[in-house]
Amino acid sequence: MIDVVRAEGLTKSYGRARGVVDLDLAVVPGEVFGFLGPNGAGKSTTLRLLLDLIRPTSGRVSVFGLDVRRDGVEVRRRIGYLPGDLRLYPRLTPRELFTYVGHLRGMRGTGDAVVVSERLGLELDRPIQALSKGNRQKVGLVQALMHRPELLVLDEPTSGLDPLVQRVFYELVREATSEGRTVFLSSHVLPEVQHVADRVAVIREGRLVLLDTIDALRAHAFTRVEVTFAAVPPPAAFAGLPGVREIERRGAVVLLALEGEADALIKVLAQHTVVALDIHEADLEDVFLSLYGEAASDAA
Amino acid sequence: MLRSVAAKTVRDTRRAMLWWSAGLILLVAVMCASYPAVRDNKDLSDLIEQYPEALKGFVAFGGTVDYSTGAGFLGSELFSLMVPLLLIIAAVAAGARAIAGEEENGTLDLLLSYPLSRRRLVVEKLVGLAAELVVLLAVLWIALVVGAHLASMNVSAGHLAAATVGAGLIGLDYGCIALLLGAAFGRRGVAIGGAAVAAVATYLVNSLAPLLDVLEPLQRISPFYHYSVSDPLRQGIDPGRTAVLVAIALLAAALAVPALDRRDLSS
Repeated sequence: MIDVVRAEGLTKSYGRARGVVDLDLAVVPGEVFGFLGPNGAGKSTTLRLLLDLIRPTSGRVSVFGLDVRRDGVEVRRRIGYLPGDLRLYPRLTPRELFTYVGHLRGMRGTGDAVVVSERLGLELDRPIQALSKGNRQKVGLVQALMHRPELLVLDEPTSGLDPLVQRVFYELVREATSEGRTVFLSSHVLPEVQHVADRVAVIREGRLVLLDTIDALRAHAFTRVEVTFAAVPPPAAFAGLPGVREIERRGAVVLLALEGEADALIKVLAQHTVVALDIHEADLEDVFLSLYGEAASDAA
Repeated sequence: MLRSVAAKTVRDTRRAMLWWSAGLILLVAVMCASYPAVRDNKDLSDLIEQYPEALKGFVAFGGTVDYSTGAGFLGSELFSLMVPLLLIIAAVAAGARAIAGEEENGTLDLLLSYPLSRRRLVVEKLVGLAAELVVLLAVLWIALVVGAHLASMNVSAGHLAAATVGAGLIGLDYGCIALLLGAAFGRRGVAIGGAAVAAVATYLVNSLAPLLDVLEPLQRISPFYHYSVSDPLRQGIDPGRTAVLVAIALLAAALAVPALDRRDLSS
């Protein structure tokens, strides 16, 4: 099967640090691929390279096995794109914009635009300049979805959406993938990616620092133990305990990761005065923190 | 009006075109109304007769300055500078908006994420620019035909059309230069500034060439030369000069394709 997106040694250099460096990744048909990283890490740059809005310094990127530059028109016919920095024509109403996009895409009408707008709760006949940021984001989503593209490229899709609308968005994504379509979305917050993605790539300062399935990350789950002591415990107090790792320390508050039996840890804690104890299952964010330290902590 | 990029480009300037049209009509009305008085004022004709050649060069159209006929009056008063200047301003503004405007507004990212090649975008924007000018030219021509008739200027509708087309083409030339600069640099300011500098420089080259020998070889590259040397108000359209003006516009627009195609869009 041909990869929907394939990047090989993809590099985009700007004057300074911005850009992406030697990126290799493949997105397979029907999956939701989450692209996670802090603002400025190179997510938007990568997505804009896919759309041929900017050109790589070196390396290659293909979509549907086609060269994004040579066959750009064909590639973009089959993509729905939501820009990260969404700018629309302020004087048009959403309905007018969708009509325009329909013509540019060579569609008969506006495809799914009206149905999707209804589900997102978007009013179609007010000028875009009169819409709130969340409603403009809905317009961006609708224009990306209206022609049922084989690949959705969504840059920070839920930014500005309230939680109820976010849920509708997740439904739309699931419906798309259930029809065998592919979604490549970027985000700077893990929970969003965790919600819908099958696989996640973490990018930081233009480099890929992690690429794995959400399930594999979950397998690393551990128990998070946050202990507040009366006095700062010695630096090596928890070193060498079986199944215990010290993740973080803020004065007298120590965050520990626990895998397996708790007994050894409890015995050691008993030797100190414990003011408060907080124990819960780690979420993926914590898994990130522990697995990838600094790099992931900025990303998540 | 949302069927294509070209149609939407025209749609976006509906309001501006209304004002431009009003301005052109007013200009023609005032000029035509003043014609009978100017024609009958012997002192004025004598005064112009005594103008130094250098000064005449700035108001000559079709090679002559002659305020005693309708054709001469319209040539010097409207077509030597005022009408082409207004059309150049309108066209440069539209040419700068075409690509650089969309890029600065951030809408070019979305537009080029649709199945639309950059070449196609340039062609659509060129068609939009030309269509805007056609609307202004139609308004201008109708105003001239009516005004010339009311002021008994004795200039045929066909000759007025020929002069109007020439002025429109010189507007199109600088509009396409603005389009090219916008495509190359993505900045409206650069497009407007660059096209304005080009217009002023080529205007001066053409006007001063008869006085300064060094400029003479350059005169033929000035669109103003090809525009003003023909005499459409008396002779009708000059196919050769018209072709040159069309060629300049098409060349600038054609260069805009690689200029846009070879670079990254700014985000």
